[in-house]
Amino acid sequence: MKKNIVKYYPLIPVLAVYLIMFLIGFFMPGMWQMVALLAFYCALGQSWNIFMGMTGYVDFGYVTFIALGTYGMSLGITYFSQFEWLGMGIIVIGLILAMFLAALAALLEAAIALRLRGAYFAIACIGINEGLRYFIEGAKIWGGSEGLIFFGALTQSLGRETVNQLTTFWADFSVFVIAALAAFLNMHYMRSKIGYALTAVREDEDAAKVMGVNTTKYKTLAFLTSGLLGAAVGAMAWGLKLGHVYPGDVFVIHYTIECIVVVLLGGAGTLLGPVVGGLIYGLSKYWLAIIMPGFQLLIFAPIIIIIIVAFPEGVIGVLKQRVKRTALEKYIV
Amino acid sequence: MKKRIVLLVIGFAAVFGFLLATNALAIDKVVIGHPACLSGKYAKAGEQAIGGVKACIDWVNNVYGGVLVAGKRIPLKYKYYDCESKKEGVTSLIERLITVDKVNVVFSAYSSGLTLSGAPVAERYNMVYMDHGGASDRIFQQGFQYIVQTIGPGSKYHVGTLNMFDHFDPKAKKIALAYEDSEFARMTMGGAEKHAKKLGKKIVFMRTYPKGVTDLTPLLSDMKAKKPDIVLGGGHYEDGQLFARQMSDLDINVKGLSLVASATLPAYYKALGGNIAEGVLGPSHWEYGVTFSPEGAMKVGLDWIGPGQDEFVKLFKKALGKDITPDYHAAEAGAQVLAYVKAVENMNSIDQDKVRASLGKLKFMSFYGGWDVDDKTGMQIGHSMVDMQWQKGKRVIVWPLEAATGKLIYPKPKF
Amino acid sequence: MIFELLAGNLTHGLLLGGVYGVATMGLSLIFGVINVVNVGHGQFIMVGAFVTLILFTALGLSPVIAIPVALIIGMALGFLFFYTVMRKLIKAPELASLLATFAVGILLEELAKLIFGADFRGYYWDVGKIILPFTTIPMSKLYAFIGSIAIALFLYFWFSKTRSGTAVRSVIEDSEGARVCGVNVDWIYALSFAIGIGITVMSGVLLTMFIPVGINPYMGGAYTLKAFVIAVLGGLTSPYGAFFAGLIFGLVENGAYTLFALIPGVAPFSLTVSLAFWMLFFLLLVKPTGLLGKK
Repeated sequence: MKKNIVKYYPLIPVLAVYLIMFLIGFFMPGMWQMVALLAFYCALGQSWNIFMGMTGYVDFGYVTFIALGTYGMSLGITYFSQFEWLGMGIIVIGLILAMFLAALAALLEAAIALRLRGAYFAIACIGINEGLRYFIEGAKIWGGSEGLIFFGALTQSLGRETVNQLTTFWADFSVFVIAALAAFLNMHYMRSKIGYALTAVREDEDAAKVMGVNTTKYKTLAFLTSGLLGAAVGAMAWGLKLGHVYPGDVFVIHYTIECIVVVLLGGAGTLLGPVVGGLIYGLSKYWLAIIMPGFQLLIFAPIIIIIIVAFPEGVIGVLKQRVKRTALEKYIV
Repeated sequence: MKKRIVLLVIGFAAVFGFLLATNALAIDKVVIGHPACLSGKYAKAGEQAIGGVKACIDWVNNVYGGVLVAGKRIPLKYKYYDCESKKEGVTSLIERLITVDKVNVVFSAYSSGLTLSGAPVAERYNMVYMDHGGASDRIFQQGFQYIVQTIGPGSKYHVGTLNMFDHFDPKAKKIALAYEDSEFARMTMGGAEKHAKKLGKKIVFMRTYPKGVTDLTPLLSDMKAKKPDIVLGGGHYEDGQLFARQMSDLDINVKGLSLVASATLPAYYKALGGNIAEGVLGPSHWEYGVTFSPEGAMKVGLDWIGPGQDEFVKLFKKALGKDITPDYHAAEAGAQVLAYVKAVENMNSIDQDKVRASLGKLKFMSFYGGWDVDDKTGMQIGHSMVDMQWQKGKRVIVWPLEAATGKLIYPKPKF
Repeated sequence: MIFELLAGNLTHGLLLGGVYGVATMGLSLIFGVINVVNVGHGQFIMVGAFVTLILFTALGLSPVIAIPVALIIGMALGFLFFYTVMRKLIKAPELASLLATFAVGILLEELAKLIFGADFRGYYWDVGKIILPFTTIPMSKLYAFIGSIAIALFLYFWFSKTRSGTAVRSVIEDSEGARVCGVNVDWIYALSFAIGIGITVMSGVLLTMFIPVGINPYMGGAYTLKAFVIAVLGGLTSPYGAFFAGLIFGLVENGAYTLFALIPGVAPFSLTVSLAFWMLFFLLLVKPTGLLGKK
C-alpha cells in the first residue's frame, strides 16, 4: 500500500504549483485571467506530453482535438440551449459532444496514422487538421466560416449573472481541474503496465512487437487520453469561455507548436516539465506584452533560444539529472 | 525538501508580486484601456488604431483642455498592451486593464473574433466596451449590455457602392460577388446581394475564397467566364492586393471593381505598382479629404467635437512619429475617443452604467462623420460610408455626391 | 467551357507547383541531413520576398538578379544560424532544434516588422503576358517556373555529380558510416543547412515573381504548412520527391476547383484546399513513406 502512494509522490510539486497559481488568481485582484492563461498552457502541455512523452511520437495535429473540443461545446450550447429545462445540462451535453468528437477523431487518426512512423505521422496529422478546417468552411457544416456565436444563447437560457460567472471563473477553474487530471493520468500511465509497454515502443518499437507487446493498443490508449484532455481544455478555455468559435481561429497549427514549446522548455517526457514550461512561456510572454507592448516577441525569441541552448533537455530534464540520488529524486519525474 | 518547496513558493510569489508592483493607481484622470494588436496578423490595423487614439487624446488634453466632469477638466490617459492578434491574449489583458490599471473604458482589439473574445470579461466587470474593429452584426445580437460600436456594420459596406453604379450606369446589370470567406466579408456579401437584387441587378457570380489563400486564379478564371460588368469583393489586405493583381494577370477587364478593406489603404497603390490599382474603388468609413466640418454639423443639427481633418492628420503623424497617412482604422479609433468624451460630459459622470446610457443617446459629428448607436444593442447606425477611387495615385472620394472630391472614372481603365 | 477552365487552371497550377516544389526542397534537405524540422521555414521565404522587394523598389533591379542575391543572403543566414545555435543542438533530443527554429522564425518576423513595418507591400515587374486560347499567363509566372526548374536541376547535378553533393547523400543514408569513411560530417551538416536555407530564401524570390503582392512580415506561416505537407508527400528526405510533390500539390490546388464548383451550395475553393491537404493522408495510406521516400 505504502509503495502505491510513494509512486505518486512526484505529483506533489505539480499539484502544489497548480494550487499556488489558483490561490494567487483567486485572492489577488486582476490576476485571475493571467493564471488562467498560464493554466491553459500548462494543461495543454501536460496533455500533449502524455502521448509524446511516452511514445516519442510528435503529434503536430494536436490542435485538431482542441478545436473539436471547442466545436463540441459550441454545438452543444447552440443547439440545446432552446430546451430551457436542460439548464446547466447544456454544458454537460457540450462536454460530452466535445469528448465524442475528439474520441472519434482520435480513433480514426490512430487507426490510420499510427501505422506511420516518426515525421510522417507528425505531418500527416497536420494534413488532417488543415483538411478538416477547410472542409468545415467549404461544405458549410457547423456554421461554416461564419462560425458559431452562442454567447447570446447562453445568456438567454442561463441568465446574465450565471453566464458571467461561468465564462470568467468556472471555465478557467475547470482548466485547472483538467490540468491536475492530466498530471494524475500521466503519472498513473508512467507507473503502470501501459507506461512500461510504451517505454518499450519508444526505445525500439519492432523489438517490443516481437516480445509480444500489443503496441497499437497502448499507443491508441495514450493517444486517446491525450486527445480527450486536449478537447476538454478546448471546450472550456475556448468554447465556454469565449462564447464563439470560428474554424480559422481554432484549427491553427501554431497552437500545437506552442504546446511543443511549452513541453520542451520544461523537459519532454517529464511530469513537472510542462508545468514549468507553461509558466516560463506564459509568464514571460504576458509580462513582456505589458512592459513593452509591440516588442515583446523580439525579446521573447532570443530568450527561448538561450534557454534551449542552455537546457537542451528542458529545465526539468536537466534538473532531473542533478537531483539523481538525492532526497529530491522521488519528487521530480 | 520542505525548504525547497517554500523557496519555490516564495519565488512564485515574488514574480507575481513584481507584476503587481509595476502598477500605479489612477485617481484624477480618465484612462482608456486598449488590448491593441501591435504584432501578429492585425499589426497594421493595430498601429493605425493606436495612432488615431493618441492623436485624439492629444487634442482633448491640449486643445480642448481635458474632459469636463463635475466642473473640473480632467486629462485623458491611454494604456495599451499588445495582444499579438490572439484570442487568449485579449481576455487576460482586458482584465488587467480593468482591475490593475483601473481604466475607465476599454477599447476592443481589431476584428470581430477578438472583439467577441474580450466581451465576456468586459461584461463581467460592467465595463463600457467600445468596438472600433469588429464589424460583424452578430456581435450585437448576443445581449452584451456594455458594448458600443463605432465602426459601421459589415452588411452596409457595399450598399452605397451599388447605389453609385446604379446612378452612373443603370444598364450595367451583371454583378459578380467574390469575397473572402470570413465573418466580416460574408456579412458584406450578404448585404450586397440583398441590395443588388433590390436594385434589379443580376448576380452572375457569387463565391467565396478561404482566408489566407495565396492564389486566386481558379476563382477568377471562373468569374471571367461569367463576363460581369461590375465586380465587388475582397476581405482583408493581402487578398485585396492579390485580387486586383491576378485580375490583371488574367486580363479580366470590367467596368467597375470595388474591394473592401485593402483598396482604401495608401500602401495599396504602391504595392500594385500604380497602374493596376488605377480606377479601383473601395468603400471606406473615412478617407482623407472627406469634408465634415463644424459648419456642416450645424446645418444638420448635430454637435461637433474634435479636431478638423488636417489637424487630426498632423496629430496622428506626431503620435506615431512616422510620416504615414491615417486610414479609416485610425479615424474610427480616434472618433471613439471623442464619443467617449462627449458621453462623459453629457452625463457629467464616469460611472459605467451612466456612460453607457449616455452613449446610447449620443448623437454628434466629428471629422469622422456622424455617430449614433442603437440604444439597446449598441450597434452603430449613424455613420455612413463613402466610396473612394484611385485616380492617378490619389484617393478621390466619388460617392456620395455631396461628399465627393472628384468625379467617378467610369468605366474603369483597362489593366 | 469546363474543359477550357480546367486547362487554364491546371496550367497555372503546374507553374505554381514548380515554385512550391523549390520552396519545399530546402525543408527536405535540412530534415534529411540533420533531422531538424524547420518550423521557421516560411519566415525564410518571407526574407526572400523582402530581398526581392527591396532590390526592386530601392535599387530598381529585376527579380532575376534577386535570385542569386537571395541565395547568398540565405546561405549566410544559414551558416550564421547553424554555428550560433543549431550546432549545439544536433546531439540534443530531436525536438530541441524544433524549438530553436520556432524562435528564429519569430525573431525574423519581428525584425522584419521593425525594419519594414507591418504594411502589405508589393511590386510590379512588367514583362508582358502570353495569351493562350484558354487563359492568359503573365511572363513573370513563366520565368518563376523556369527558374524553379533550373534550381531543381542545379541541385540534382550538385547532388549526383559533385564531391560535396555525394558526401551529403552519404550523410543522409548513414551519418556514422560516412564519418567512418572520412567524410567531414560536421562540415556537411553546416553546408547542407546553409544550402537548405539558401534555397528556401531563394524560393521566396520565385514566389514573389508569381505573386508579387501581399509581402509582409507575417506572410510565412501559410507556406510553412504547405511545405510540410508537400515534403511528406514527396517522401520527406528526398528533395526531388519534394519537387514532384510540389507540382502535384499545385495541380490539385488549382485543378480541383473547377470540379467542386459543380456542386451546389458549397464553397468550392475551401473544399479544394481541403482536398489538397487530405490528399497527403490518402497517399500515406497507400505508401506510408511518401512518393519517393525509402523504407
